[in-house]
Order: sequence, then C-alpha cells, then structure tokens
Amino acid sequence: MISQDGVNLAVCVITAHFGDLVAKVCSCLLKRGSLSLQEIVRTTEFSNSQVKNCLLVLIQHNCVQAFSVPRGGAGGATKTVTQYMALFDNILHRMRFSKFLAIVKGDLGVQCETLLQGLLGYGRLTFDQLIVRATSKQSEGSSCNVDVLRKNFSKLVHGHYVERCPRPEPFIAPSEEAAPARKRSSKIIHFVLQFREEILSLEQQVVIAASLTDAERFSEIPNAGTDASVTEDKQDVTVGDKRKFESTELDEETEATISETEVLWRANFQKFVFCLKKKVCVAKVRSRKGLDAGVVLEAIIESSEQECNSIKASMDSILEKVRGKPDGISMTLELVRGILEDLDCSSHTEDCNVYYTIELQCITESCRKDEVESLILTKYGKEAFRIFGLLNRKGSPVETDQISDFTLVDKKVAQQVLYNLWKDDFLSMQKVSVEGTGQRRENFLWKLNKKSSWNLVLNHLYHAALNLNQKITHVAEQEHEALLSEEKLKHLKNSRMILQLSLLKLDDAIMIFHDF
Amino acid sequence: MLPQKRPHPDSKSKPPPLPEAEQKIYTSIKSKQSMGIWTADIKRETGLPNTVVTKALKSLQNKNLIKDVVNVHNRAKKMFMAVEFEPSREISGGSWYTDGKLDTELINALKRVCLRYIAEHKVTTMEEISRSIEASRVLNVPCSMQQLLEIVRTLVLDKEIEEFRSKGAGEFARVPSGKTCYRISRGKVGTEAGYLASVPCGVCPRISECTPDGVISPKTCVYYNKWLNLDF
Repeated sequence: MISQDGVNLAVCVITAHFGDLVAKVCSCLLKRGSLSLQEIVRTTEFSNSQVKNCLLVLIQHNCVQAFSVPRGGAGGATKTVTQYMALFDNILHRMRFSKFLAIVKGDLGVQCETLLQGLLGYGRLTFDQLIVRATSKQSEGSSCNVDVLRKNFSKLVHGHYVERCPRPEPFIAPSEEAAPARKRSSKIIHFVLQFREEILSLEQQVVIAASLTDAERFSEIPNAGTDASVTEDKQDVTVGDKRKFESTELDEETEATISETEVLWRANFQKFVFCLKKKVCVAKVRSRKGLDAGVVLEAIIESSEQECNSIKASMDSILEKVRGKPDGISMTLELVRGILEDLDCSSHTEDCNVYYTIELQCITESCRKDEVESLILTKYGKEAFRIFGLLNRKGSPVETDQISDFTLVDKKVAQQVLYNLWKDDFLSMQKVSVEGTGQRRENFLWKLNKKSSWNLVLNHLYHAALNLNQKITHVAEQEHEALLSEEKLKHLKNSRMILQLSLLKLDDAIMIFHDF
Repeated sequence: MLPQKRPHPDSKSKPPPLPEAEQKIYTSIKSKQSMGIWTADIKRETGLPNTVVTKALKSLQNKNLIKDVVNVHNRAKKMFMAVEFEPSREISGGSWYTDGKLDTELINALKRVCLRYIAEHKVTTMEEISRSIEASRVLNVPCSMQQLLEIVRTLVLDKEIEEFRSKGAGEFARVPSGKTCYRISRGKVGTEAGYLASVPCGVCPRISECTPDGVISPKTCVYYNKWLNLDF
C-alpha cells in the first residue's frame, strides 16, 4: 500500500515530465488501484481519447502495466476486461536517470551511455528506432556505424542494463477456490498463484505474469549479416538440403529483422537498483570498517553472478577480484580471510573449494538504522539518540525508570523525551498499574516499533523529496524574474544546485528504505 | 518504705512517649520503610488536620525520628522517611543522583576517563578499565565496577565505542574467546548528519502542516530561505 506522501511524490514526478493531464490519470490509478478505461474516464472526467492518450504515454514510459482479468457480465457470461495498474517503483526511478547513466558510463563508456539515454528518454524503443535516433544526432558528414551501435547495444544487453519489454497485456486468472468478490473500494484483491501456491497481491501477480524469463529478457539481437563460412557450406550441400538450408537462413534473417524492428527494449531498472545497492553497501562498510573491507565487499559482490540479497562466491574468485583492484593488489589471503570474517560472512566447503556467503540485507538494515538514529539525534537531541538506541537493541517494552537508569539520562528529561518520541509515532506506549507497599503506581512501558518507525521515516523522505522538487521549481521561476541583479541571479542558481544535489542524496535514502 | 534506687546513668532510658498525633504520624511514616510517604498521603491516612500534621512533622524532625527526602520523580513535593531507613532506588534515583538531581558532572568526567583509556588501548575489557582507573587515582570518589559498567554502556549507546565478544584471535588475541571487550568506534556513525537530517524538512516541527499550496509550503518556508540564504 503506497502512502499519500508517496503518491504525492509520484504525481509530482509525472507532472514535471508529462504534464497535468497524464499526472491526473496516473494519480487516479495510484490512489484507487487498478482500473479499467471506463473507470478512469468516469473518475477523471476526461474524454475517452484523452484517457487513452495518457495511458499510452504512461505505458510507453513503463509507468503503467496493462493486464486482462475475467469479469462476470449479465446473464452469467464472462468477458475479459483490460485494466491498468500504475507502477509506483518505475515512476520514482524517473528521478534517478542521471544515476543510471553514470553507472553505464563508468562501466561501458560514453557510447553505451548515449544509447541508454535514448531508451530512458523514450521509454521503450526497438533497435531500429535506436539507430534512427543515433543517426539523427550525428552531425552531417560523419556516418553512424551501425555495427558499432550493435556492438555497444550488445554490451548493454549482455550487462543486463537493458531488457526486452515485458508482455503488454498478460491474462490474470483467479484461483479455483473461493476468491473474494471484487469490491470497487478495495485497492488490493488477493489471488492464489497456481504454480507457487502463495497469496500474492494483484499487483505482484501482474508483474510476475508480465515478466519474461531471463533467457528471453536478455536474448540478444541475432546478427543477420552474411557469413563467409555459411557461403562455403552452401556449395557442398545437395539440392534438397540446399533448399532447406536457404529456408533456415531466411528464417534467421527474418528473425533478425523482426528483432530489430519489432522487439521493444527498455532499461532494466532491477539491474540499476542492484548497482546502486552495491554502491551504498560498499560505502557503508568502508566508513564503518575501513578501506580494505570496502574493497573485499566489492570483490565478493562482483565475483558472484547473483543479484540478490544473499551473495555467494568462492575464495578463489574473491581473491582474483580483490587483486584486480588498485587498493587490493597487495592484500594477503590471511587479510582477506580476516575481513570476510569481520563482515560476518558464513563459509562452507564445496568440492574442495571454500565459499563465502554475505547477507546484504544486514548492511542495508544497518544503513536504515543509522539514518533513523541520525534523524533522532538532530531533531530530538543526544538523550533521545541514546534512549532510541537502547530501545532498538532491547526490542521489547522497557519501563521508564529502567530506561533512565540504563542511559544515565535524568528521569524527568527521559520522561519528556519518551513522550515526544511517542507523540511523533516512533514509539508505542503501554500503561501498567503496579501495586507495592500499599501504594498503587502507574508505570509506562515503551517499545520501538521498527516497522512503523521505518515507514514513518520513508514517508518523511517522500514528503521532503516532494518539497525539494517544488522548491527547485520555485527557485527556477525566480531566476526568470526581470530586474534581478547579477549577484542575486548567481545566488539563485547556486541555491538551485544545492537543492538538486540534496534531492539526489535524499533519493539515496529513499532507495535504502524502499528499494534495497 | 525502701529508698528509691537512683537510675544507673549508663542504662538505656526509654524516650518519653510521643503525643497521640505524633505517634500516629510516626507509625504511618515508619510503616513505609525505605519508600517514604508524602505529606498529603500522611494527612489522608491519619485523617488529622493540616496544622496538626505540620506541627507534628516538625517536632518529629527535631527529635531526629524522621527525615525529609527528595523524590527524584517529583522534587517539589515533600516526602518523609524514618531516619533508620535509606531511600530506595525508586525514590533516590540510584547512585548517580544526589538530592534528586543527576550528577552529570561526575558522569561526564567518568566518561572522559574511560574513553581516554579505551582510545589508548586497541581492545580492552571492563576489568582492565576498572583496574587502570583505580590505579591512576584520577578520581577522588570511589567508583564501583558496576558504576563503570554503566558508564561504558552509555558510551556504547552514544556510539563512541563498540562492544564485541572476543574471537580469541587477531586483534582480540589477548582477550579470552567469548569475553566482552571494547574498542573505539571506527567512523563516527550516528553522529554524522543523515540524508533526511541534512535538509530543513527532515527536522521541521511543522512538517505535518506543510502542503504544496498551503500556508506552510516549500514556496513560503522560512527554514528553506534561511538554509539557502534567500532572505532578500
């Protein structure tokens, strides 16, 4: 369930990129869940064609996914209805395009970055369309080498930075068991996925159903150009075989043409999220445990092909990667082993090789904890920071006096701090009556509810990001005002840069709480 | 008639009996032992008028039978206790409190001393810290191991130091495996401003009232203007 602050931020992003009309359609889907075309028309009070155009823009830019569901009609007949679902994560990714481009530039170079820029700018393109775009950008007199483009594009596909677009309109069938009747007011309808026997939300089911397999997603464009070895083979075959061979060759050529002209490609956001996660985890470990630890963590992530929370790699591959880095070239086996233990990696032996596994979730959780604690320190003070740290460690309710004794915070101050944290929903409170020596006393028990605290911080992040976006727009408007002195104009431009940099940094925190 | 024997000067002489009101109040106070009792509760329990209670309490204090104590939870209210009892931890606040106030000066001094010792040694245990502080005689007040442990725990919570279980190898080689030990934190995590705390919205007290087109909004926000020096 997306919070109101999250919805507001997503709508702000869509408004800035596509205008008010598209934003209103998107807002409608984000607030009300999946809707059919007619339902959107009714809610937004736009015309049919306006809504269709808005949906086309949102689908083109991977912000909406269409899917079909069966719906009971009059007289017991079942018809298939197309519904549209907003993809909140993909909408927020639009704020991060500059980060995605920087990743590709660093890994594959400027030419690949330019290709990716096209895909991010247009949402989804065929390879043909990418070539046309690249060609139109070239200056007159210089030719665009298609082979070079194809080679760079292959690098992007091979690196999993781009993928084939998912199925445009998967069919979602409800389970055979009693499914609850669809309520117009409910945002999430639960279905049982046939194969997995898990209860997934409709949104999750749609995303899974639309997804291609990894082999399909990253299947490269076949090369349709003539091959010398193929020409030689032709002379040795019999007539029947030759005809069959020509037919196969034609299919390959057709297949290549289809791949270039009809298969749509888009940026693979999953890969970019993982790259950013790796960057954050390495930075965190570097600041906590030193440069060497950062090198080793980077090496263990890069030496494994997995892009998930649990990373497993052999000692040999880790060492190879470590020694390939400038800071790791002189690191001994003993040092690397010590660092892996310090990083709480579990190890096991398999086929005479030692494997190490690291849980990235522990590092990202530590990032989340640090972010919240830093906020508590800045907003509520040192005593609150200490009390919050204690409650985070305890995990269970603690009485006021105990908190004061453990943290060596004055009892009155502790009471006030706890009240403030409770008022702002960081803590839950429980009143307990205690009888002792003939007197009845009321004790208060305090507990940190991690999940709701983390959600609270995420909502604050959304709100702050929305405010930064609006302030950037406001400052930009002020820059265009007449009668501004050069000094004031320069000051406004610097302010806008500070705001933009702050937004990029704040977005890192949003990813820590939402995406990692 | 036999002459009356003069009482032996060393024998214990019974104190004169207390007047009824004082006896009633003294019994009430003594029954509370180390928890003590507030004046208002004395009045309620004994049912005696205000003036009588006030006079009796003064008399009992002069006779050194009761004493007033400060309740750390409510310093303004008067609380009484029989002299033979020491205030419970619940009333006094514990060893770090004097007259109901936390001795922050002592706590900070001890923190500085402990931190200095831990910084000088790569990895150290509680026993080593305690021995070193005792040997240095840097403090002019006695300090128990328990008190030092409480100080060290707050340093852990402040992220000035880190707490570990020794692995018995590497930098922990001289500490038995499994024993709790401490070292200075690497990187000042938690004391650096996080992402949200670095922007005005993160610490804004009016964030819940802030809306895009409201009275409080990013366009009108005074905190933003101050942060960016846009007050022109």
